[in-house]
Amino acid sequence: MVLFGHEMKQNFKGFLVWFFVIVGMCFGCILMYSSVESSLTEMGDVFAKMGVMSTAFGLDRLSVATMTGYFATEIAMLHALGGGMFAAILGSNLLSKEEFGHSIEFLAVLPVSRLRLLVQKYLCMVADLFLFQLLGSLCYCAAFAIMDEQLKIGPFVRLGISQFLMMLEIGSICFCVSAFSKRNRMGVGLGIAMIFFAMDLLCRVIPAIEDLKYVTPFYYCNCTDIFLESDLPVAAFVIAGVVTVSALLLAGFRYQNKDLQ
Amino acid sequence: MSSPAIELNNLTKTYGKHRGVTNLSLTVNDGEIFGFLGPNGAGKSTTIRSMLGLLRFQEGEVKVLGRDVRTNSVEILREVGYMPSEAWFYPEMRVRDVIRFAAKMRGIDCREEAEMLCDRLQVDDTKKIEELSLGNRKKVSIVCAMQHKPQLFVFDEPTSGLDPLMQAEFFKLLTEYNAKGATCFLSSHVLSEVRKFCGRAAIIKEGKLLVTDTVEHLTKTQAKHVRLVKQGVEEDFVYRGDVGTLLRDLAGQDLTDVTIEEPELEEVFLHFYDNAK
Repeated sequence: MVLFGHEMKQNFKGFLVWFFVIVGMCFGCILMYSSVESSLTEMGDVFAKMGVMSTAFGLDRLSVATMTGYFATEIAMLHALGGGMFAAILGSNLLSKEEFGHSIEFLAVLPVSRLRLLVQKYLCMVADLFLFQLLGSLCYCAAFAIMDEQLKIGPFVRLGISQFLMMLEIGSICFCVSAFSKRNRMGVGLGIAMIFFAMDLLCRVIPAIEDLKYVTPFYYCNCTDIFLESDLPVAAFVIAGVVTVSALLLAGFRYQNKDLQ
Repeated sequence: MSSPAIELNNLTKTYGKHRGVTNLSLTVNDGEIFGFLGPNGAGKSTTIRSMLGLLRFQEGEVKVLGRDVRTNSVEILREVGYMPSEAWFYPEMRVRDVIRFAAKMRGIDCREEAEMLCDRLQVDDTKKIEELSLGNRKKVSIVCAMQHKPQLFVFDEPTSGLDPLMQAEFFKLLTEYNAKGATCFLSSHVLSEVRKFCGRAAIIKEGKLLVTDTVEHLTKTQAKHVRLVKQGVEEDFVYRGDVGTLLRDLAGQDLTDVTIEEPELEEVFLHFYDNAK
């Protein structure tokens, strides 16, 4: 696992930056709740009557004037979007950065098979995303405790697992993109994350494209749905699993057969 | 009898429609220092990268240390020390961390050898890679290629960017490892170093192997370096062919001076290129 440790070190600064920006912002927003509570109470009804916007963000089902509603519609969504972007950037760069940065001739002539190299890099991504979600969730628990607010543990754990799977799916797709490329594909990765996010918002308000909920990983980690304890979207999870495994297998097949230079 | 260190049989590698190398065959014997000569874009790096499993070639067979590179690349790389033409590492890492990382990936303790190499090549292992010049990055690359005392060295333009003292130290190290039994495949532009250190050499141009022979034979061909002065104008060329014909041809001309001597390896090398046109 030498390469795993090396990769974790390489990504450590990026991890810290994304963690402190996204989780720090969310943590701060939770702590700010008491100071914005009164204005949110006034705005809660307005937010709930914004038509499709309210539907897209779940404001028609949970009131932003409650701590649970505020967390589900604002904080968790911000965390999901930030986490998705972090996963996209991490995944889209993991393999191609060696060729883009010309370090491939140093790395690929060390006695390690391409498959092992790919697996250790992928595991590094999984570990980074897991830590991002775990530490983020712990920070939010701490923020709720500081605010002396109750947090429903069951839905919160489901949210954490769903968001981790969402990041893993986006990260895996971008990891596959990275296996096909010799250049930094950060822009492509971010584009994928943003398109999935937009799909989630749109499929909630436009019935004709409702089936996009099976495509976008943001659908099954929607905090409003989870906090309202809606049924588990089994089909979406199965599709997510198939997409994640397929992306990894395709990345492996491509990386095994490509020229490294 | 031990198997050859490197055996290439009809190696063909193309990049889409672009040429890489075509039907390239050569053998490097165990324990020799073998020169690989060619201009930029000739296919030297393609050959080396195919040998090490970095490139997936379309046709042919490549055996390194008796093993097929298609199926045993990890075992091969365990016994190979490779120095690429451009020494790139992770810019934010310190030199000692890069060297340790390379050793750890091999699963062996190379600290003693690495320390000796850093000392002889005057490598400052406390610096970050991004602070190093090309020459100093090359020195780090030499340490990474040599610290595990491999059976086979593969060097791609190793001395470019090194100052003359370091070039001398590099070849001193190389001959020491060679004396202990290591084989060396040396790709180079610098023909004087091939002449000085290699027993045999191959010349490649436009992806095709032109010749493989001993350096001694390559320099003892029928080719002659002819310098003549004719009506006050100097002419300088390499002649390959019957010496009698040359002399008869020169005798019929109004020459004020003529010198005929053995050609330099550079001239033999260039001559092979001209022949291939």
